Formats: sequence, C-alpha cells, structure tokens
Amino acid sequence: MEMNNEEQLLEQLRNPGTSRQGFARLVSEYSERLYWQIRKMVLSHDDANDILQDVFIKAWTNLENFRGEAKLTTWLYRIAINESITFLNKKRSQNNVSIDADDSFLINTLEGDQYFDGDEAQLLLQKAILTLPDKQRLVFQMKYFEEMKYEEMSDILGTSVGALKASYHHAVKKIEKFLGEPN
Amino acid sequence: METKINKLIEIEKDKNPFKVPENYFAQFNEEIMNRLPEKEIVKPRTVPIWDKVKPWVYMAAMFVGLYITINFLTQNNGESNMASVETATQQTLSGSLQVENYWSTVQISEEEFYQYLEEQIIDDGYFDYMYNQYYLN
Repeated sequence: MEMNNEEQLLEQLRNPGTSRQGFARLVSEYSERLYWQIRKMVLSHDDANDILQDVFIKAWTNLENFRGEAKLTTWLYRIAINESITFLNKKRSQNNVSIDADDSFLINTLEGDQYFDGDEAQLLLQKAILTLPDKQRLVFQMKYFEEMKYEEMSDILGTSVGALKASYHHAVKKIEKFLGEPN
Repeated sequence: METKINKLIEIEKDKNPFKVPENYFAQFNEEIMNRLPEKEIVKPRTVPIWDKVKPWVYMAAMFVGLYITINFLTQNNGESNMASVETATQQTLSGSLQVENYWSTVQISEEEFYQYLEEQIIDDGYFDYMYNQYYLN
C-alpha cells in the first residue's frame, strides 16, 4: 500500500465515524497476505482461518493503541506472527512436545488437511521446514516464498538485516541437508 | 552472503500446494466485518455546574473562614490590650491616690520632713568623714 493510501486509511481508521469503513478496507487489503503467512506457519486451513479472525479482532480492538510509528503492514504482521507462535506453543503443550523440539507432529495435520494437495516433494519440503526453529522458519518463509525484502522483515521481526541474512542462509543449508538425506 | 540452492530448486516454488475453499477471502472479509464488536463511543461527560464552581466555592469559603478567624483574634487581642491599659491607668491613679493619702495621714509638716532629710545628709557626711579618716590616713 502506498504511503498516501496508508495515511488516508489511517485517518479513516482514527475517525470514529469512518473507522468501520476503514477497517473493511484494511481487511480486504491485508487478509490474503496475512492468511498465507499464518497458513505457512500452522499448515492447517482451519487453524489459519481461526488465527486470522483473531488477528483482525485484536487489531480492531487495539486500533487506538496503534500510534503509527510502524507501518500498518508491519503492525498486522507482528500480530499475526505472535498469534501463530502462541497457537503453535499451545499445540506443542497439547502434544507434549517441548518448545525446542521440531514440529514434525504438524505434518499429520497437513496430511489430513483437505486443502493441501502437494506432491511428495512438496510434502518433503514442508517436513524439512518443520525441522527449523520458529524464527528461522519465519525467515525462510518470508524470504523464500513471499520474497520479502530483508529491510521489511527486519521491521516485522525486530532483527537486524545481517542476522536475518545469516538466519536465512542457515535455514536453506538445513533444508538442503534434509532434502539430501534418504527419507 | 550468497545462499546456494540445489535441492530446493527441484521443487516447484510457484506451485502452491496449499489451497483455500472457493471464494474464501471474499467471504472471510464479509464475515469478519460482521463479527467485529461494536466500539463504545465515549460521550464527552457533561460536568454539572456545581462540579464546575465547587473548587471556587470552597476557596471562597476558606478565605471567609480565614478572615473571620483573623478578625476574631485581632479583636480579642485589642480588647485585652485595652483592658491592660485600663488596669494600668487604674493602678497609676490608685498610686497617686495612695501618695495623696500618704501625706494626708503623715503627722509631720512638709518643713519638718525637709529638715529630717537635711539631717540625714549631714549624718551621711559624718559617716563619710569617719570612713575617710579611718581608712585613708
């Protein structure tokens, strides 16, 4: 979203008379991008759908706290990422998996999801991605699939560009190694 | 830092294996707008007139109280001063009365009294003479 458009939208959101209308604009502008970000983290469509709803409800109820210091995209991404990680932590504790362990248990969710129709190679790639720690997984998905700029990623994740480049490099190496192993 | 991708490249990146139900995003946008809770529009609170003037009334009452107290104290003080002046005057008057009364009761005449004083002075002089003679010679 261009700066002028974002400023207009912010003004619309801040005005009590037009905030609902502005929020409808915000939802239609960002829902798809946020959905894919969440979906790649939690894999299941139903879970992603629930989390996305929570993200927008949280954004709506906390609209007054958004001071415009960061871009709207950054703010929404941060909420989405926090909600996704909270969800994953809950799932891990339900499955008695430690936070440090990989999330291979999620692959069962993916295999049973009617909204996943990937071939074997794609399923293998998802398995490889699940071996990464949360933050590295986020970095990999943002860079590899969404082709996001490091600077934007830095704003969202609050990590330096250098650290993000290193993280992405390590993530790719781990995935390459996983894919190279006999499975 | 150049990241080499070998195995990854074999997997079709652009082919998204994740699917969504048909018309999902349009429906989602509509549903989420219906689910949004109503925001309470905070009406500006109308302040009653009494609340507006209350601090001024309290301040005025405080000043009035202060004035009355000061006034009361200074008045009392003045009265007690007056009383002490009056007492002093009365005492002076009674003093002069006493002097007058004294002379009226004394049996010697004024001349006799001065005579008596003169004798006293002579006696004192005699003692001075004796003192000088005895100690200084």
